[in-house]
Amino acid sequence: MKKWWVPAVSALALLNGCANVPQGSIPVVDAGIPVSNSERVSAQRATNQYPQATAARAPQAQAIPQDSGVVVMIPGGGAAVSTPISSEPFTPGPITPGPAAAPISTGSYTPSTSYSMPAPITPSGIPSSNGGLAADEQLDGPVLALLTTAQQQQSSGDLNGASSSLERAQRVAPREPQVLYRLAQVRMAQGDAAQAEQFARRGLTFASGRPDLQASLWGLIAQAREKQGDPAGAALARQKAKVSL
Amino acid sequence: MTRSRSPRSRSKRPTGGPRRWLGWALKLSLVGLVVLAGFAVYLDAIVQEKFSGKRWTIPAKVYARPLELFSGQKLSKNDFLTELDALGYRRESVANGPGAAAVNGNTVDLNTRGFQFYEGAEKAQAVRVRFSGDYVSELSTPNGSKLPVVRLEPLLVGGLYPKNLEDRILINIDQVPPYLLETLVAVEDRDFYQHFGVSPKSIARAVWVNTSAGQMRQGGSTLTQQLVKNFFLTNERSLSRKLTEAMMALLLELHYDKREILEAYLNEVFVGQDGQRAVHGFGLASQFFFSQPLAELKLHQVALLVGMVKGPSAYNPRRYPERALERRNLVLDLLEQQGVATAEQVAAAKKMPLGVTKRGSLADTSFPGFLDLVKRQLREDYRDEDLTEEGLRIFTSFDPILQMKAEAAVGETFKRLAGRKGSDEVEAAMVVTNPETGEVQALIGSRLSGYAGFNRALDAVRPIGSLIKPAVYLTALERPSQYTLTSWLSDEPLSIKGADGQVWTPQNYDRRSHGTIFLFQSMMNSYNLGTVRLGQQVGVPNVLKTLARLGVEREFPAYPSMLLGAGALSPMEVATMYQTLANGGFNTPMRGIRSVLTAQGEPLKRYPFQIQQRFDPGSIFLIQNAMQHVMREGTGRSVYNVLPKNLALAGKTGTSNDSRDSWFAGFSQDLLAVVWLGRDDNGKTPFTGATGALQVWTSFMSKADPLPLDMPQPDNIVQAWIDPHTGQGSYANCPGAVQMPYIRGSEPPAGASCDAQAPATGDAVMDWVKGWLN
Repeated sequence: MKKWWVPAVSALALLNGCANVPQGSIPVVDAGIPVSNSERVSAQRATNQYPQATAARAPQAQAIPQDSGVVVMIPGGGAAVSTPISSEPFTPGPITPGPAAAPISTGSYTPSTSYSMPAPITPSGIPSSNGGLAADEQLDGPVLALLTTAQQQQSSGDLNGASSSLERAQRVAPREPQVLYRLAQVRMAQGDAAQAEQFARRGLTFASGRPDLQASLWGLIAQAREKQGDPAGAALARQKAKVSL
Repeated sequence: MTRSRSPRSRSKRPTGGPRRWLGWALKLSLVGLVVLAGFAVYLDAIVQEKFSGKRWTIPAKVYARPLELFSGQKLSKNDFLTELDALGYRRESVANGPGAAAVNGNTVDLNTRGFQFYEGAEKAQAVRVRFSGDYVSELSTPNGSKLPVVRLEPLLVGGLYPKNLEDRILINIDQVPPYLLETLVAVEDRDFYQHFGVSPKSIARAVWVNTSAGQMRQGGSTLTQQLVKNFFLTNERSLSRKLTEAMMALLLELHYDKREILEAYLNEVFVGQDGQRAVHGFGLASQFFFSQPLAELKLHQVALLVGMVKGPSAYNPRRYPERALERRNLVLDLLEQQGVATAEQVAAAKKMPLGVTKRGSLADTSFPGFLDLVKRQLREDYRDEDLTEEGLRIFTSFDPILQMKAEAAVGETFKRLAGRKGSDEVEAAMVVTNPETGEVQALIGSRLSGYAGFNRALDAVRPIGSLIKPAVYLTALERPSQYTLTSWLSDEPLSIKGADGQVWTPQNYDRRSHGTIFLFQSMMNSYNLGTVRLGQQVGVPNVLKTLARLGVEREFPAYPSMLLGAGALSPMEVATMYQTLANGGFNTPMRGIRSVLTAQGEPLKRYPFQIQQRFDPGSIFLIQNAMQHVMREGTGRSVYNVLPKNLALAGKTGTSNDSRDSWFAGFSQDLLAVVWLGRDDNGKTPFTGATGALQVWTSFMSKADPLPLDMPQPDNIVQAWIDPHTGQGSYANCPGAVQMPYIRGSEPPAGASCDAQAPATGDAVMDWVKGWLN
């Protein structure tokens, strides 16, 4: 019963000579490498070899720098003199139901700001801590960490990565003007002056009571307008930057 | 004995005839050998080409947003555990190894798995999360040092497959869990490491078993032959195919070593069917059945998967759990017999349940509506082949927890409203976004969750009714010298003569008129007469311009009926429009995708956050104020029957003619949701915007627990005290005086203090105001 493979193998042996077959290893270059949840961070593949999957298994301490002292937000060292942020709540007009078309009657519903919030910080809002802290120090842990990462990425030339990290920070703290300021800076570096101006403008809507930051944002708007060929608009923005300070 | 001979060697039959016969035989067999050699060359080319090239096409994988963890984050422990379950985290008493979590009261210890993201790698690490109320109060390592921010790996929510496609998650042989290789060899091919592609020994054993049993009980195929069969050949059962298979198996073994063949087998093997999608390879099987990465599987899970190879449908653990359990335990016994596992290990494994994820749990749910959105956005940038073959990894903003809440809100509301005649025919669509980032977080295209048909969220283009009204009022409020929230507006009957001579006589929903009212009151009560009058004053074309600035790209004719929402939009378009209202007047194109990585984990494309300021924040502040009145005392007020009174929300109801469409669009600080209810045949429904869509919206918001709306007051806004009857300026201490926001300069002149002894200092007044507000 083994007969049939004898010629096959011998034929092959013969053929191998002329076929010039790369013996041994399969070039393992599938389109996918370990995908999905099985794809560990460690899965950086060497050319012909699968990586050891063990590296990622060992629990490791987080390597995100907690505080590398990056105070990058406000050029000109304005951070130190930043005024504390007003946490004064805005209250919508306290008007309560009355019969249709009846005059407005006084009533009371509690305005929005006292919604339950046990944590001491407000991640999706403007840092509400008051006291004499400088603006940068008021940043939340996660935001500071992500801005630091973005800073490192930017200085190593990875603008897309920096942008991505900043958008991540913006999701964590959507109303933090310093994040928007940095996003505007990176857009500027990416050559997108129009978006740089837009992000700076968005930052301004959250920068009330922070003159240094306002000045920086207006300064950036001036640059962006200059780039977009709008010297008049740039001059106006520069004016505003001076007024803010 | 099975004398499986090559057909060509049949001529070698000894004839015992003259010598020339022998010569002929020799020549013939030489010819045969050459032909066979040619055939072998041909097969060898096939084997090598297919095996050394790109072996499989891999559909693009779509991931949900990764859950971010940081101290101060709004996240309930329950939602967190739901996410962990969906990601297949094992609950252990002490978290041990990646993918394990331990829950102790308000503290959850876990070992994350790590993941490659666009902007870099997230490390696998041990994390302690402490909850307080619905917030993360602390994030640290287990020994207590603080962590600023940690990302979990994202949930795989689907792939982009053409019809009838094989799907797989490629794994490498170093990633397999303990026991997998041993179990596979023990069950499927005991002599795998000894044979050279075919195993005469197991063929003999199979023949023996089958002949003595009188039926096909056992196959003699080696793992290599099985791989060849699946990889190169069709399912046809014939001798010639069997021979080709054997030859190819030999060729494969000749070129490649055992581990490589085994690895290919691990990725090729068919383990189940998921609708149109064929589940191939243990990598995907592990995700599909256990929601866990393969490397984390334990002995009992390994035994189940390997046991299923024999008959993926017959031993489907979801459909035939008892049969599957029996098969698994049989495999475990075999492992004990062959010394792969000890008796104790096998006994312990046998005590474990099957452990497959439950149907309806997050891990075992499909989200066709959102995937459809992703696919459409990707089609703008990629060819279909790129999406279905290149193994791209698509990172989205999809939030599976919000999606489950949205689906539950739709389901529960329909159940509650089932008594309404005709509610059974009513369909639903919903879009949930984050107004601050412009990202789509959840999407419902059909009342039946998981139904992959007509995607109403994107394709049901229906008249929006009163959802248009914020555009009308915003157009007016952008002219502060002419209009404020307390401008007087007549809600008296009116008729408009169109260009074609036809007379249009709009009516209020209650068919009554309400005299002269404040502008904001007309908005909050959704009065048609006041709205049409205002719209005529500012001009329909200007209202349409406002609509366009809000982000609606559709063009509409400037008919007066547009003022009451005769124009039709999809729920997604409505979400874009309201997004601009919610986000301080900054428009942002809706995004469902954040970034795309190649199969190798390299950054390929980013979909950046883009914004554009379209409105002055002051006028947006005013329209938001009016939209908050809608919720407090207008057509949306039923929301506070369910939601806490101190939760500031803004929104608008919409109802088209004869209640054919029931709409609600509204937002909090961090969540925007648009709900549409209506019939596919455009028939009448028993719902208005308030009795239908708003109910779904309310139910969703109560589950999602949003942050209260809190737009920072723009610099050009002042709060003025007014008399609620006359709209005249008043003073803080006057009876009944209320505060309203105005664009600076448009507020009524301040009135006199009502208290003769009123302290002159502003501070005292502020204190008084604060006391009153709290």
